[in-house]
Amino acid sequence: MSSSSAAHVVANGLVRRFGDLTAVDGIDLDVGEGEVFGFLGPNGAGKSTTVRMLVTLLKPSAGSASVAGCDVVTQPNEVRRRIGVALQDAAIDPLMTGNELLRLQAVMQGLGGKPGQQRAGELLERVGLTEAGDRRVGTYSGGMRRRLDLALALIHKPSVLFLDEPTTGLDPTSRQAVWEEVRSLNDEGTTVFLTTQYLEEADQLAGRIAIIDGGTIVREGDPAALKEAVGDPTLRLEVADPSRQEAARGILAGFGGERPARAGRIAIGLRGGTGSLASVIRALDEAGIAVGHVEVDSPSLDDVFADATGRRLEGDGS
Amino acid sequence: MTVAVTTDRPRWRVAAEQSFALAVRSVRNTARDPSAWVPPMIFPLVLAAIYGAQFSRAAELPGFPEVDSFLQFILPASILQGVSFNAGDAGTGMATDIQNGFFDRLMSSPTSRLAVFIGRLAGAIVFSAILATVLVLIFTVFGAPVQGGVVAALALVVIAAFLAVAIGGFSLAVAIRTGSSEATQAMFPLTFVIIFVSSAFFPTGLMTGWYQEVAEVNPFTLIVNPARRIALSGFDWGDFGQAMFWIAAVSFVSLGLSYRAYLTRLRRS
Repeated sequence: MSSSSAAHVVANGLVRRFGDLTAVDGIDLDVGEGEVFGFLGPNGAGKSTTVRMLVTLLKPSAGSASVAGCDVVTQPNEVRRRIGVALQDAAIDPLMTGNELLRLQAVMQGLGGKPGQQRAGELLERVGLTEAGDRRVGTYSGGMRRRLDLALALIHKPSVLFLDEPTTGLDPTSRQAVWEEVRSLNDEGTTVFLTTQYLEEADQLAGRIAIIDGGTIVREGDPAALKEAVGDPTLRLEVADPSRQEAARGILAGFGGERPARAGRIAIGLRGGTGSLASVIRALDEAGIAVGHVEVDSPSLDDVFADATGRRLEGDGS
Repeated sequence: MTVAVTTDRPRWRVAAEQSFALAVRSVRNTARDPSAWVPPMIFPLVLAAIYGAQFSRAAELPGFPEVDSFLQFILPASILQGVSFNAGDAGTGMATDIQNGFFDRLMSSPTSRLAVFIGRLAGAIVFSAILATVLVLIFTVFGAPVQGGVVAALALVVIAAFLAVAIGGFSLAVAIRTGSSEATQAMFPLTFVIIFVSSAFFPTGLMTGWYQEVAEVNPFTLIVNPARRIALSGFDWGDFGQAMFWIAAVSFVSLGLSYRAYLTRLRRS
């Protein structure tokens, strides 16, 4: 197997039905080696069902998928050897210690005895749980459980890591810790397939995202490009000398249509995106207008989601 | 580097290690969770104490086996009760794993599917053997030693261990089918009733009517009677074989049901 295909996640027309309900309705995916791929969508969109098919826990009703070059239906064990999986709600046995869980997971990956023990120690250190390693998991905080969950997924040095909502329910500090870990794993070459309902998480971590809604992918691409495609970013500007406001407004009109702004400010839809910011400042400077305050507000992933589905992902409490 | 761990050891060897590791986990978790071992230990003892006091004269009835005390008569019944309690735990543990996602963790790893099943049963076997040993010792302290001697006592422990498979198989079947620990626990009263409609606490010869008819064909009667003969009059291959035969027969049914449920769950996924 060539190394270039070793870490791909590929799906073709993946479908999963539960009775009359079609949870995943024909999904195509192509995740390259070394990518962090974000799978973004609201609850019930089909994210977890897709992941469960990719990690061999659910059989597709139609379509096919392969992970790390192995087919999820015909070579499930080959897939399982190559993936690390941390599913929703850190599935952890509260009666066991962190160390015991890691060593058990090592045996499940065919790594028993000394090597397993050594690897467990390394991972406890990596996720900062060395001291808590001999304590029962039942006493761990939510953040500690998530970090242990991540360590469990890494025991066999998988080439593809699946994280299903890795930070749901975590406080901001713990969330940061998980993000850091995901970044450094990716730096080491691990392909990461991440589902999330948090826009910021997708924005922070993913090099490429797919937005899933109602079982189908409604948008896919690099987050910056997706946001750009929604529309021009909003430029908000305040001139240092209020008497020059109208002059500034005239110059700005050449860079994009005016948008509503609060008193004392001018806002436009900046054509050409943040790339044209320098030209705006230069034009104002040439006209002798000093700028007091400037900000560029790019469309958020929420705007992308809204553009694709007509609904907001955050704040509607779904 | 991100290279998958490769093992060149034979598959059966890896599966055996996994079964062992899961069995150790199962025994250790039982030991760590008092709610898993205190009731199977205490309940039979409390019942034995009550029955010992209540029915002490029953042992003098004509048709009752030759025993020094009623306690000696009900030792096998107490073991049976403890084991059925504890064996139910195999199912509850499996159901909990399914509910909290631990089962999924195992299934998304290259874990031998058989090892997950065997690990649970092996845990129940070990714990039931421990349970039986402790019950025998406690009965001895309270003046009801195994009349048949040490070998007979050991035979009781072996019978208890395999009885855990026979009964545990049913709880595993419910657990795997429903994935609910509540449903699995709800099975216990049924086992309780089946034990009562057997010779466990009273010789069938002293029963009457339909009760007697049911008790005489109750598999628990067929297992308890030879076990009791061993306990009271010493080890005998014939009795041991008879007890083990019926345990095997019940296990065949219970394991068949649970393994079929297991395959259905794996296929459905």
